[in-house]
Amino acid sequence: MVGMSDSLAAIVPAIIVMITGFVVLLGDSCVPAWRSNGKALNPSVSIVGLLIALFFNQTHIGKEAATAFNGAIVDDPFSRVGILLLGLTAIFSILLSMTYLENKKLQHGEYYVLILFSLFGGMLMVSANELITLFVAIETLSVALYVLAGFARTEEKSEEAALKYFLLGAFAAGFLLYGIAMVYGGSMGLAHDGQPTTNLAEIATGLANGGLMSVSVMLGIGLALLFVGFAFKAALVPFHMWAPDVYQGAPTSVTAYMAALTKIAIFTVILRICSAFAPISVVWLNTLQVIAVLTIFGGNILAVTQDNVKRMLAYSSVAHAGYILAAVVAVGVQAGKFRDLAIHATMFYLFAYTLMTIGSFGVLIWLSKRGRDCQTLNDLKGLVKRDPFGAYVMLIFMLSLGGIPPTMGFMGKLMIFNVLLQSGLAPLAICLGIASIISIYYYLRVVWMMCFMEPDNETVSDRAVEQSGVSIAVVITAVLSLVLGLAPVIAQNIVAPASNILLH
Amino acid sequence: MITTSHFLVLSAILFTTGVIGVLVKRNPIVIFMCVELMLNAANLSFIALGRHFGQVNGQMYVIFALAVAAAEVSVGLGIIVAIFRAKETINVDEVNLLKS
Repeated sequence: MVGMSDSLAAIVPAIIVMITGFVVLLGDSCVPAWRSNGKALNPSVSIVGLLIALFFNQTHIGKEAATAFNGAIVDDPFSRVGILLLGLTAIFSILLSMTYLENKKLQHGEYYVLILFSLFGGMLMVSANELITLFVAIETLSVALYVLAGFARTEEKSEEAALKYFLLGAFAAGFLLYGIAMVYGGSMGLAHDGQPTTNLAEIATGLANGGLMSVSVMLGIGLALLFVGFAFKAALVPFHMWAPDVYQGAPTSVTAYMAALTKIAIFTVILRICSAFAPISVVWLNTLQVIAVLTIFGGNILAVTQDNVKRMLAYSSVAHAGYILAAVVAVGVQAGKFRDLAIHATMFYLFAYTLMTIGSFGVLIWLSKRGRDCQTLNDLKGLVKRDPFGAYVMLIFMLSLGGIPPTMGFMGKLMIFNVLLQSGLAPLAICLGIASIISIYYYLRVVWMMCFMEPDNETVSDRAVEQSGVSIAVVITAVLSLVLGLAPVIAQNIVAPASNILLH
Repeated sequence: MITTSHFLVLSAILFTTGVIGVLVKRNPIVIFMCVELMLNAANLSFIALGRHFGQVNGQMYVIFALAVAAAEVSVGLGIIVAIFRAKETINVDEVNLLKS
């Protein structure tokens, strides 16, 4: 790491997001004129701050990697792509939130502050190159999300979701921290001076140079606990039980945000860790493959019986996490030979996943009326006659989630198939194929409800008026899902720099 | 003579106690205490390993972990109070509106 520029410039986008958060927080609570216009001012200031942060991020995209805090945080093309995806997620979520919060009488400035702070945590996660920094970043993201999940204070379901999310999240944090302690203990001799280290770049270099005589029990246990912690946070089977409850109970705009945000942040982190530990992939490769298969099948099979669309999408997000993990696993094959290919496929799929998840939850927000959320399959009956716009965009998202051409979800799956077959993980590819066929059943069931069923008196019939923010977000995500599915090269070019991951 | 491995064994015992506590206890506050036990077991490992390696890093990491744990406590207790206001109970078996 010596000789590389080490300055705060490496985390300018994250700093901008944090400052925007403080401005909104202080403005909303201390400036009376701001407070009376908070409804419009809070989201617009947040979005402007995010756009500035993304602008700085994009101007860096082709530049050399840089570090900050003595190598604990790294600004490489990989993290820049991650930050781009995270920033887009936050912008779309804020657009989705505005009228939804007003309908639920939750229009408080703190909402946007928490969105920005959790995004700050996510940005540090994708940039963290040191395990303790990583831990602090994960908790920054998680603690803000616990509060957001319980943001509808008067609804018992929202509070219950927050409690479950919090207890399981804290449990996972315990595993993570203990795992880090064990990795630290087992990393003796990996740093350049022969000392133990938690710096991923030093670990990667040390492992690649054969600094470790043999993998100690301690390092093995540490990695296992680390992955248990990640599996909890990313809702991988068998650590997924909190996901459906939390996704159902949290306000829908929060669900959309956290579904996309946590997946992007956690999987970029897993990619970085797997890349660093690729030389000893023999320790973790098989376990992760088993978890991937369990997650792919578990998520899809459990999703089949759900009548609540939010729950169904939660289980489907579990399944998608399995697809992404399958691509990540390929990083470890033959000590990282297929790393670039795997990273490319993972980031592309994360991009596709972000668009279709935010979009499909966005449609549910679009259809929610004052005082009652659109949540169940029943609420979607006969939608194509009542609200053709909502029905057609939902159709696009369902096709994309199901991986049916010509959508982005299909291209993403194709790329994962490609990397699995090239790296000799054909059994995983077969599991992915079979599970995708199961998934088409429950995605098309939504379409069936929308197109061929008549609404009954339990159906939420009229939506709230004036939702320009929601319609903008939903239209953009739907159009992108289609266009980037037809012309995947554009998205591939956006995520291509990610293969340039700093590991030395 | 108390060696590093004594500390590590103690921390492993504390960690396991914490995990079992989280799995069997039904009161969120007790569950959270068990989570704290897990975190502090990790902290003990860090300190012991830092001492063993003669490196200040291990001890410094504990400060970070403590700060994170403090932030988690404040949010967690806030959520538990909110649940108690709504339901008059915080037993996790009775907080069960969300299921398939």
